[in-house]
Amino acid sequence: MIELQLFIRGDRQEAARLREVLEREGFVLDGGSLGDRTSDIRISASNNGSTAAEKEEVARQVEELEIAVRELRNLDVAKSQFLANVSHELRTPLTAIVTYGEVLRDGLLGDLNDRQREAVQSVIGSSRQLLTMIEEILTYARTGARAIELEPSHFPIHSVIEAAHDMSASLIRKKSLQFEIDVDGELPIAAADRDKVLHVLTNLVGNAIEFTPSNGLIRVSARRCEDDPAWLCVSVEDSGIGIDPEYHEMIFREFAQVDSSRARQHHGTGLGLAIARNFIQLHGGQIGVTSELGGGSTFYFTLPSVEANGDSESD
Amino acid sequence: MTAVDGATILLVEDNETIRHAVSILLEESGYRVTQAASGTEALEKAADQPPDVILMDLGLPDMSGLDVTRRIKADPVTRRSRVIAITGRAMETDEAACLDAGCSGYVAKPVDTRQLLRMIEVELGKKG
Repeated sequence: MIELQLFIRGDRQEAARLREVLEREGFVLDGGSLGDRTSDIRISASNNGSTAAEKEEVARQVEELEIAVRELRNLDVAKSQFLANVSHELRTPLTAIVTYGEVLRDGLLGDLNDRQREAVQSVIGSSRQLLTMIEEILTYARTGARAIELEPSHFPIHSVIEAAHDMSASLIRKKSLQFEIDVDGELPIAAADRDKVLHVLTNLVGNAIEFTPSNGLIRVSARRCEDDPAWLCVSVEDSGIGIDPEYHEMIFREFAQVDSSRARQHHGTGLGLAIARNFIQLHGGQIGVTSELGGGSTFYFTLPSVEANGDSESD
Repeated sequence: MTAVDGATILLVEDNETIRHAVSILLEESGYRVTQAASGTEALEKAADQPPDVILMDLGLPDMSGLDVTRRIKADPVTRRSRVIAITGRAMETDEAACLDAGCSGYVAKPVDTRQLLRMIEVELGKKG
């Protein structure tokens, strides 16, 4: 008998595809489930129907696969480590630029006229923008190197939605956007890493603001997931330019951006959604989008929860 | 006369350029600044002439800024200095660890210079 145990990193679609292949090959599956690590999906498979020679061949192939997977993982860690080192090195001189800029701007080295101050302010603004992008690459590299651990706690989801709104309040005002929060009062409490969830929500709200024209609408809602009431389903809906369904999967991949002249006016590392996906998958959740070109977008993600029964479990 | 005038600050930062930029900021704002590029140098200079405020970069080459802070807080000669931690970024070190080590405050790089100057004034006010 051939027995296999496969661990797939947090991607249910990937797991489903693999199970299909194994079943086609005559393996009996014992129902894939979440492994010890919430980010892994475990599949156990056995196959009784092969001859001795076939079994040997499969065993050899499995061994080769295992070696290949190990090598790929090592490469992936090396890549992430490299990214982390580079972004760390980039931050230091940029930090100096920002500090010198602010010293000049505030007239500590002598008064500036309006045009000089404006120029220095641009140096500071652009440098900070660059730093934000570098921070994003660093965060991405850390998740890739599995250097990020979840620190779960229990918290009401509306508190994080409000925090994400507050962080973007000035941008929302600037574009005169209507911002609605629609949270069911009877919701269970989120059981997740609050900082990571805030990071994801801030990113989704940031995208919504960026791709929604002035006077548009952004609505953040939370409710129980329809297919599993133990999970929270959080969505960020906007009345913006929308995304062609062709790109719905691609935008969650790293360094990918929708390649249209419209989107090219927007800047960024193309890592925001990849990081969001990593963070949500670390929780065992799912993230996705429904959208039509010109018809606004709704990004949603799911989070584990616990019932709000007044237990003193939360922290 | 504000709290600023003549107050002393020990700036602990291993990167020379950032140290230079921040020292200009502090000196031009009226502080007397001494500098240290490592944890060892920081401990020596703090013991030599205990400053009012120490700006402590947490990523030092020879020891962790939090360890330096613990030693400063454990030494009766230097314990009255207020320590403000400066770290690479918010997610790297949590604020609780900073406060636990004896820091009074915590700012992430790149420091907003106005915010930093306000924090220093607050710490000087507390020191009395």
